[in-house]
Amino acid sequence: MSLTLDIVTPDAKVYSESVDEVGFPTSEGRIHVLPHHIPLIAKLNAGDIKVHKGNKVEMLAVGTGFVEVYGDKVSILTDQAINVEEVDDKDIDEAIKRAQEALEEGKKSDIDAAEIERLEAAARFAMAQQIARGKRR
Amino acid sequence: MANTRDIRNRIKGVKNTRQITKAMQMVATSKMKRAQESAKSGRPYALLLADVIGSLSGNVEDVRQTFFATRPVKHRGILVVSTDKGLCGALNANLFRILSDIDSSAKFVSIGKRASQYLSRARRDLLADFTVNDRAPFAEVRKVVEFLLWSYEQETIDTVEIVYTSFVNTLVQEPEIVQLLPLTDLDSMLEKLHARFGAADDETVKDRREILFEPVRDEILAELAALYVKQEIHQLILEAQASEHSARMVAMKSATDNAGNLLDELTLQYNRARQAAITQEILEISAAAFAENT
Repeated sequence: MSLTLDIVTPDAKVYSESVDEVGFPTSEGRIHVLPHHIPLIAKLNAGDIKVHKGNKVEMLAVGTGFVEVYGDKVSILTDQAINVEEVDDKDIDEAIKRAQEALEEGKKSDIDAAEIERLEAAARFAMAQQIARGKRR
Repeated sequence: MANTRDIRNRIKGVKNTRQITKAMQMVATSKMKRAQESAKSGRPYALLLADVIGSLSGNVEDVRQTFFATRPVKHRGILVVSTDKGLCGALNANLFRILSDIDSSAKFVSIGKRASQYLSRARRDLLADFTVNDRAPFAEVRKVVEFLLWSYEQETIDTVEIVYTSFVNTLVQEPEIVQLLPLTDLDSMLEKLHARFGAADDETVKDRREILFEPVRDEILAELAALYVKQEIHQLILEAQASEHSARMVAMKSATDNAGNLLDELTLQYNRARQAAITQEILEISAAAFAENT
């Protein structure tokens, strides 16, 4: 018996496959889900998602959101997600730099709180990519 | 018969108009495609979010939560999504027809200049009006939603409903009213959502074990509900925009066609007038020649 993992963002369905195990960061710490897990709804933190499939391990980076485990279905709702295989370190470093610069600038020239929050989310997501990529090796 | 120069001027005018309406038609077509795409790409997210809330529906009965509990409705809160610009057929008129049935205790929030104009003209209670640009980015929609949620929590309004034009297909757009808050009837809401997106809902596995919440349940419920309302309103605004652009496209297409017909008619008239003038001239010349010879 395996798990179905769906990762959905407002822009698209990013990931939808059957997997063996999945681990993700929640507001209360990391949770690792195996088949027959009890139903769970948790707040997802920005960070890395570790997916075990056969003897392969995949790493994905996600932003904040929610996780639902229901039956043998794991649904992850998040604002953004990316498979870290698809990006390289240089892009990530640049993204982090850009995000932090934008954030600094934003805080100086008092733009509204929602916009700052958005920039922070971008920075967190870039960091999450770096972490996920670091763990992969 | 009108003189040839007048007709020529009119032909020129109609041609210019046709050029403009044709350009507008083409712009609307491409905008419509984009709006449809973005409305479509948000669907899985909306559906999954609704499913998550739906799977809670058995658990929320004893919850005393602002978003889930009904209270006596003194003032309905209605968000009206209209267009900023005109020239889109009967789209806005149809939308406002729904509003005329709503009694006067309701309070309104509008998106789009047309709605705020209509509401102030009809002397309705307009709490705020917002403008959202063509791409309807989440950041702009968020301000609107946050205002609505805030008014709901302050009990300025007792429901959150949205009036928008739903996109059926390119030719058909129907005005619709949807209630978002309070979240009381989750099952029928889910059903409607599935019907709207044409998704199969039989695949949801029933899991009867008790749900574990991390962190506490109330916190998650409140955040999920707020996220749901935000997402739903954003989705509906995107759909309203797809409707706007397709309505404009159709209106401009028929304007372009009409201009074409008018041009044909005018050209015929012009040729007739020109021929009549020539015949007249020949007649005069030959009459003069005849008079000289005799």
